[in-house]
Amino acid sequence: MEATFEPKILGMLCSWCAYAGADTAGVSRTQYPPNIRIVRVMCSGRIDPLFIARAFESGADGVLVAGCHSGDCHYISGNEYAKDRITSFGGMLDFFGIDQRRLKLAWVSASEGTRFAAVVAEMTEELRALGPLKLKVQ
Amino acid sequence: MATQIEDQLRARARALLAEGTVELFVGYRQGSNPLRVAPFVARTPAEAERLVWNAVCVPNLAGTLLKHVGKRVGVALKGCDVRSVVQLISQRQLERGRLHIVGVACRGMADPEQLAAVAGESVDDLAQDGNELLLSVGAELSRHPQDGLLLAKCATCTSQTPELYDELLGEAAPAAPVADRLAGVRALESLDAPGRLAFWSEQLSKCTLCYACQTVCPLCYCKQCPLTLSRDDPRRQTREPASVFSYHIMRAYHLAGRCTGCDECERVCPENIPLSLICRKIEQDGSPR
Ligand code: SF4
Ligand code: SF4
Ligand code: FES
Repeated sequence: MEATFEPKILGMLCSWCAYAGADTAGVSRTQYPPNIRIVRVMCSGRIDPLFIARAFESGADGVLVAGCHSGDCHYISGNEYAKDRITSFGGMLDFFGIDQRRLKLAWVSASEGTRFAAVVAEMTEELRALGPLKLKVQ
Repeated sequence: MATQIEDQLRARARALLAEGTVELFVGYRQGSNPLRVAPFVARTPAEAERLVWNAVCVPNLAGTLLKHVGKRVGVALKGCDVRSVVQLISQRQLERGRLHIVGVACRGMADPEQLAAVAGESVDDLAQDGNELLLSVGAELSRHPQDGLLLAKCATCTSQTPELYDELLGEAAPAAPVADRLAGVRALESLDAPGRLAFWSEQLSKCTLCYACQTVCPLCYCKQCPLTLSRDDPRRQTREPASVFSYHIMRAYHLAGRCTGCDECERVCPENIPLSLICRKIEQDGSPR
């Protein structure tokens, strides 16, 4: 195995909070690992678990779902649905042997640029330790 | 050989069709050999004579009912099939008012594959005598206690008496001692994540994505499924291991809160993948949203 494994993370960020938070991180030149690729969605409640399955299928080592803090969702309760969905889907992934830590849910507001950077940094570290997701074995 | 239940069932189906209570009666007919039955729809009192009821009435008829939505349908159901029907009613896929359910008390169905294995050769006739099954191969007749040859799901069943019916045939059987349904799930969960991944990698490497498990499932009623796209759809999965994983994970997720544990998916899988483990996992989790 190569010296340091660089995980690939797919981030699905809601347009109103988390995506704006990532933007804040960029604008204020906060450094965070380049391992994340970001997809912008209107609301974390838009994220069908199928998107997550497809991300892992297509080679992601981790998936980050981020949206507005509880009570702040632009569509009132999308993030509550997201929370239930992602939590139960994480359990399903775990049953198939895909470590739950590969799917992370975070709440990041538009002003929390440093928090966004910290979330990505922490997740990257965790995935480095977990190593690549070998769904393609055999 | 006609069993007592079979005679009663034919008589009831005949009467229901003759008096116009139902337009169709759904049950089983003899299949391609004595160990197989197939779903059958009787449309006239005369056709009701072709109905059978024996120890191998294994297929779940709930799915057949979905093909006749809108009609007044009579149907013969064992307990596990009633569970699927109840679920379909609560999901508004079937209308209670249009169904006439003839519940059949059940002591467990025999596994046709095990029967074929004990017979060793192709069976010429299957008959029943109390709790014994009589298999004839040529002129030879052998007797086997039915309890030893049941489907795996029947060992843990608590639906011997259906939970919903308009009329009941047979003796309401006493609830059998329940084996631990979730033992398999717990064993798998005692492994660490890489251990489970190795287990599923090995099992799912056999999957050919034939989609039989999805086709047979009575609770997979969506008209269009994003997991089983047609051959010319560019988004259709390939048979890469990663795609097979996502198919099975998504199937499990979609069935959460719907699966009633009839284990038809595992029965029809040509690769003998232990899909019932996934169903038990869903059952253990309750019904997530
Ligand atoms: S699961 Fe229960 S109701 Fe279904 S065939 Fe077995 S014993 Fe009968
Ligand atoms: S029936 Fe078996 S082989 Fe076919 S898609 Fe389902 S698991 Fe795969
Ligand atoms: S809009 Fe941000 S989570 Fe709904």
